[in-house]
Parts: sequence; structure tokens; C-alpha cells
Amino acid sequence: MIRIKNLSLYLLIILNLNLVCSQKKRNDSIITKKLSEVILTATKRVKKITSVPYPVNIISKNEIKNLGVIRLNEILNEQTGIFSISDESGFEGIQIQGISSEYVMILIDGFPLIGRKSGNLNLKRFTLNNVERIEILKGPSSSLYGSEAIGGVINIITQKINNKSINADTSFQIDSYSDKNININFRNGKKKIKYEFNGNRYSSNGYDINPNISGKTVNPFKNYTISNNIYYNFNDNLSLRLNNRFAWQDQDLEKKINDTNFNGSTIEKDLNINLRVEQKWKDKIDIIYDFYFTKFESEESIDNQTSINQITDNFFNQDLFRPELRMNYLLSKNLIFSSGAGINYDKLERTFFDRDVSFNSKYVYSQIDLNIKNKIKILLGGRFDNHSEYRDQFSPKFGFKLNISEFISVKGSIGYGFKSPDFRQLYFNFTNSTIGYSVLGNKVAESEIGKLKNEGQIINIFFSEKNIYNELKPESSIGYNLGVEFKKTKWDFDFNIFRNDISDLIDTRVIARKKNGQNVFSYFNFENIVTQGFELNYKYKLTKSLTLNLGYQYLLSFDKEKKESINRGEIFGRDNISNQTIKIKVSDYFGLENRSKHNLNFKIYYDSNKLNITTRFLYKSKYALFDSNGNGIIDLYDDSFINGYLISNISLGKNINEKINIQIGMNNLINHTDQNIPGLRGFSGFIKLNYQFNNQI
Amino acid sequence: MKTTNRLQNITLAIILIIFYSCSKDDNNLSDKVASITGKIENFAAPQTGGQGQPIGGEFSKFSFKTGKKTTDDNWDIAFRGTTIAVNGGEKTGTADEPDRTGNAGASIFSGTLAGLKNIDGLVFNQDSGTSFAIPTGSDNGWYNYNFQTNLISSIPGKILVFRTHDNKYAKVEILSYYLNQDNSNPSNGRYYTFNYVYNPNDGETSFE
Repeated sequence: MIRIKNLSLYLLIILNLNLVCSQKKRNDSIITKKLSEVILTATKRVKKITSVPYPVNIISKNEIKNLGVIRLNEILNEQTGIFSISDESGFEGIQIQGISSEYVMILIDGFPLIGRKSGNLNLKRFTLNNVERIEILKGPSSSLYGSEAIGGVINIITQKINNKSINADTSFQIDSYSDKNININFRNGKKKIKYEFNGNRYSSNGYDINPNISGKTVNPFKNYTISNNIYYNFNDNLSLRLNNRFAWQDQDLEKKINDTNFNGSTIEKDLNINLRVEQKWKDKIDIIYDFYFTKFESEESIDNQTSINQITDNFFNQDLFRPELRMNYLLSKNLIFSSGAGINYDKLERTFFDRDVSFNSKYVYSQIDLNIKNKIKILLGGRFDNHSEYRDQFSPKFGFKLNISEFISVKGSIGYGFKSPDFRQLYFNFTNSTIGYSVLGNKVAESEIGKLKNEGQIINIFFSEKNIYNELKPESSIGYNLGVEFKKTKWDFDFNIFRNDISDLIDTRVIARKKNGQNVFSYFNFENIVTQGFELNYKYKLTKSLTLNLGYQYLLSFDKEKKESINRGEIFGRDNISNQTIKIKVSDYFGLENRSKHNLNFKIYYDSNKLNITTRFLYKSKYALFDSNGNGIIDLYDDSFINGYLISNISLGKNINEKINIQIGMNNLINHTDQNIPGLRGFSGFIKLNYQFNNQI
Repeated sequence: MKTTNRLQNITLAIILIIFYSCSKDDNNLSDKVASITGKIENFAAPQTGGQGQPIGGEFSKFSFKTGKKTTDDNWDIAFRGTTIAVNGGEKTGTADEPDRTGNAGASIFSGTLAGLKNIDGLVFNQDSGTSFAIPTGSDNGWYNYNFQTNLISSIPGKILVFRTHDNKYAKVEILSYYLNQDNSNPSNGRYYTFNYVYNPNDGETSFE
């Protein structure tokens, strides 16, 4: 025993010596420039990333550029523990720490994006053209952002000009599917006024993973995004900013109704306007006045509508207006107090709603940011939300970071997150015309059931009616994160354990049976789930220009009640061969749908002044799409599993001269496709040309 | 009082002895028949209509006694699409339903087929003017309908227990709703495969 111990000790020492030696050697030759990265999302204020006690990721402009990616979903999907995945509704969204996209807030410059379909926000809608960086804050963040921020917050920070210059750039990218992406950017910065224009056109021919099924997997579309930003500095203490973004997309639509194919189109429009006034008082107080308005419109229309009257156009129009006032007060060098208040006016009109519905909510938040001798950093905050449709919410959050030495630090946080019931869960009134089932929102269930009863359509009602019409509670979570970070000149390592306890999840349940034998569903708070696991990231700078990156997430997810039912022996499965019933054991329980246990990525970056090459390998282990044997859980006897798979992407960029940059790349090198992964296109190659017009004043 | 008590005890003892010896001799004397275990494959249960149209068509009747499809009044249960009727109670009011001529009833037990030893504690319903004894609709009775795949799957752990038209008992586990148990194509539907155990003895409530 002692021998082994000694031996390992020697080994350790030798290894360490080696490391130290090599470091010394390299340190001489390498000019290590550690950019002090900042993050806005964690505190709604510029803050050094090294002093934030929460798990965060930053994707830099450089990385976006080097990867040759075009849309937001593509870049996010390459981050550790983040998946772009389509759920049972068929819509794609982002999953963080095993929490699905309904519970992940997406912001653009700090303000929420709207237009969720079945809870999912389609991130393909967003161009990466003028993105400065993307900040990802993991874990519940309702203490600052209110509803939806259960799994985390993704904040797209757009580029801002801060120097006096006129410059422009344009790029053109085409891939082997003939998909084209065109960017045009123009910036004009003067002393007092700065103006910026960004334009993007992205067109795709779509693609088809399974030619045996009629219709394409993704239909052709054209997408245009333009944004204008104006900045005006009245003086050093007062500035104004007006940002607006408008996006428009037209996608072909094919619909099969009663065995007849219809063609049409889906038009989506997206508008964001933000007016901000920033005022400084004596270097101690910042006051920020924000007015934010956003609108999302989506409409499906069928050509030659006149011949068929049973097809109705589908539409979805949502508005959000939010004035917000906030303030940061530098009490001392090491203590900052921030506070803010705002109002949300939220409105939605859509098909399957009886009427237009609107919400309004008011909120106020405060936060203390304390730095004790540069050793301990503490963030303590809370937010109070008062809403027109559900009970008040208080969301606290606490985080600490402890610098043990120059290289090692420990950080931990605990926070509350919630998501208010959405419009659909409250006001949906839908009856399937072919099968005949109905889905009713919580607020309309009582009157609609009454109507159906009067018409003699209801056979029986399953719950006592009092329970059916109980007010829906917000879904809520408590998230815990505990991590350790090592930062050396040549390598970084961070490790974070997480657990999210999510209660009162809203899902549909049968409330009544109709005379046609079909069910009436409504929404209830009844599921309690847990997602837990750990994440690690390791970055090693091999040489000045060569960096290796390894990321891994281990994830467990389960439904608490279902797990107990399995323990009590109340859940059964069906043997795959004999089809006979068998009792499900806890070890047969796979967890929640669309969640992989293992997620691994390995990236090699080569970046010299003239040439950059990035190679990425992304692995996702097996996951299940849905419960296929009708027992309400995903178990090993289900046959809806997607086997683990590997994706690899490579891109190469070269600066021909100061003005011209050329980039080529290949995505999905292994050409892995699966008809059950509609978002994953087969092998493609691309080429991109970038031209920079520079005119420094 | 005392004598009556004694008498009672003695009678009880005698009855017990007789009962015990009887059951012991059963196998040899064969005045009691052993439970029948069977498997029915691809029992066709066609229907007309559906998909928003009124459902109709003749029910396919099944007799546990013969272990076969039947057309006479001695049927126990009958299938049409995902609907199961019992020969007891009254018509529910859908088109083309057979007359209920017997005293059949149904109950649903949660567990495995082998795990159900007898009918103790089960409540039997009959078809009625408002509903079928085995409730229709996804997750209400024996099946789950998946909106994504359009597949009907028999919910694991749902054992259908029947009282036959002539007051005997049978238990059934539906294995599949598809021809040759192949659910790869929804158009294979309306073919039942099920395991059953039928106790043909009058008044017996156990499946041992």
C-alpha cells in the first residue's frame, strides 16, 4: 500500500514538475494576452466574467466568425450542455441543463424575444450577422428576468461601434445545397453620433432527409433581417440609443388535408425596437431608461383557398411592450446596489382563441453586488412580479465566488425560477376536426364544458369540477449550482454540479369524455421533475496558435412521481418480443424524453494571423423521443430511441489581404442523418467570401 | 346456544373436509375442468366510418367457451375498431351494435396477466345507454393513442377481466392491435392479438 502511495506521489510530483517546466518555457515565448471578458447578463450591468458566481458561457465574435455558422441555433448547438432539439410538437428549441426550451429565456440586448410555438422559440430565425457575442447564463435567473428564466438565459449582444470610423463589410456564403447567405454592414461613427446598418438575406432550398415520405423535411424559405442602430452622446453623462431590428421570412408550406395536397406559405415577421437613455450622476449613479417594443406575426395561408372552405388560415400575432427603469448605485468601491422596475403589456391573437387576450405585469428587482477584499464575491438579488393572471411571485437568488488562490476559485449559487402559464395554457380552445378530441385552456374550460354539456356531447367528467377549474399556478424551480475553476496561463478547467427541482409543471390531462368516445383535455399543474448532473470544460493552449477544447455534460432527468410509482410496482411495460406485460424496474426507467445522458464535444482551434482552422466533434448519447408503449414513461422497452451519434464540422479561413477573407468548410462530415432528427442536415460544404471596406478617420 | 354452536362447528368441519377432499381429488375425478389458457391471433375487428364520420359496422363476437369467433347469441365480448362490447347490459347507442342477451361484465385490473389470481375486489360494469363497460378513448380503457405516430398501443399492465354471458370468468391481455403484431403501418390496425385465461367452472372466481 505504502509503496503504491509513494509511487503515485512521485508520479504526481514528476508530472507537476513537468507541467511547471513546460509552462515556464512556453511562457517566455508566448505573449499571453488574457482579455478580461465581460458579461452583461448576470447582473444587467457590465461585469467581469471572472467575478460572476454563476455558470456562464461566452461565445465570442471571433468564434462565430471562425466557425462559419450563419444562424443562432447552429452556434448554440456546439456548446457544452446545450442542444437545439425538436420536441413532440415538431418545433425546435434550445435545451439547457436538461431543461427544455419553453423554460429558457432568449434575449436580444437584454430584452426578450417572443413568438414561441408550442413553447419553442425557433432560433433559426436569428442571424449571427451583427452579433458581437452570445452570453449564456445557466440555472434559474428569474431574480433578474422574471418568467421563463428557469433553465437559463441566452443573451445575444449585438455589435456596437465605439470608435470614430466609417467602415463597411460585406460577405457572401453559398453551400452545397445552394443555400445562400449575404451580409451587408455599414458603420459610421462620429464624435457625437454613431450610426449602424446591418442587412442579412438568407435563402434556403430546404432539404429532404427521407425521400420516401412525401414533402420535404424542411421547406424552402427566404429570410431577410435588417437592423438600424443610432447612438447619440449628448455629453459624457447622457446618451441615447435607438435600436431596431426587423426580420421577414417566407417559407413554402405543404399541407395534406383529406389526402389532398395543398400548397401555400408561412410568413413570419419579427420587429424589435429599443429606445434607451443612459444617464450618469457623479460617477456613482447610472440610470437607464428603456422602452422596448416587440411584435411577432406568423400566418399560414393556402393558395387557391376558394375551392376548399374547410381550410382556414392559421395566424399568430403577439405584441410585447415593456418600459423599464433601472439604476446602479456605486455605494463604495466594493459594493454596488442595483434596482429596476418595469411593466409588461403582452397581447396575443391567434387561431383557436375565442378572443384576443392580453396580460400585464409589473415587476421590481434589486441586487447587491459585494466584493470582500477581492477574495469573496457575493451577489444577492430578488425580484417581485405582480401579474394580472396569476399569483404574485418572489424570485430570490444568491451566489458566491471564493478565490482560494490566484488559480483556483469555487463558486456556488441557489436561485428560484418560474414560468407563468402561457396564453395557450389559459385560452386555447381547439377541437381536432379529424379525430374529434378537444383541448381547452384553463380559463375557458369551465364555459366550454358547460356548452358541451348543454349540447349533450359529454358522457362523463372525470374530476370534481372544482378541481378542473382551479387556477393554474406558475411552474417553478429551485436550481443549485456548485463549481470549481482553475485558471492557468496555458489551461483552464471548470467543473460544475447542477440540480434543478422543477415543480408544478403544466401538462394536459383528460377532464371529460365526449359522446364520440374522444377526450377533452385541459391543462393542470401536476408534474414534478428533476434534472441534475455535471458539466466540465477543459481548455488547453498547446501553442500560441493551437488550442484544444473539451466539454462534457452528464445529465440525469426524471419525474419524481413516476419514479415512486415504479418503486411501488405500479408501472408496466411490454416485452419487445412476446409483447407480454412486465413490471418496470427503476433501472428500466430512462428518464425524460429528448435528454441524452452524455454530451461530449472536442474542438481544435488553430488560429494564426493569416489562417484559422477549427475542427469540432460533437457527440450526443442515446435519447428517446416519446413514450411508445403507452405507460406514460420512457423505459428501455420503448422503441422511440435515437441512438447516440457523432457530428463533425470543420472550417478553414484565410486572410488573402487586409480586405479579403475567404473561408471554406464542411459540416456533418460523417453525413449522419436520421428522419427522426429533422433539424440535422446531411453533409454539406460551403464557401464564404468576406470583403472589408475600411476608412479610418 | 352451546349445542347450536357445537353443531355449527361440526358442520363447518365436515364441510371443510368434504371441500378439501373434493378439491384434492379434482384432477382425478375431472368433474372440474382446469382453466383454459389461450392465445388468439389476428382477430379481425373491422369498422366503418371513423376520422370524424359516424362509426358503424358489425361487431366481431368472441366466445371464451369455444375460443373462437361466433355469430350466435352466446358471445361474451365483441370488437369493433378499438371498441370492446360485452354481452351484458344494453346498447350504448352507436350504430350496428349487437343485442345484449347475457349477463357479461367487465373490469380492468392493473398488473400482469399472471399476477391476477382471482376476481376479488374487482367491480364489474356492463355496457349501458351512456358508455361501454371498457371505456373508449385514449388512456381511458385499454389503449393509448399516440398523436405523433397515429398508433394504438395496448397500455401495458391493463388486464381486462370479463364475466362471460353465462357468469364465468376470463382475463385477457391485449398484446397488439395490428396484423401480425406489426405496427409499422397504421393501416395494419384492427387485428387483435390477445392472451386469455378462462375458467369454465360454474361459480369459480379464481384463475389458478
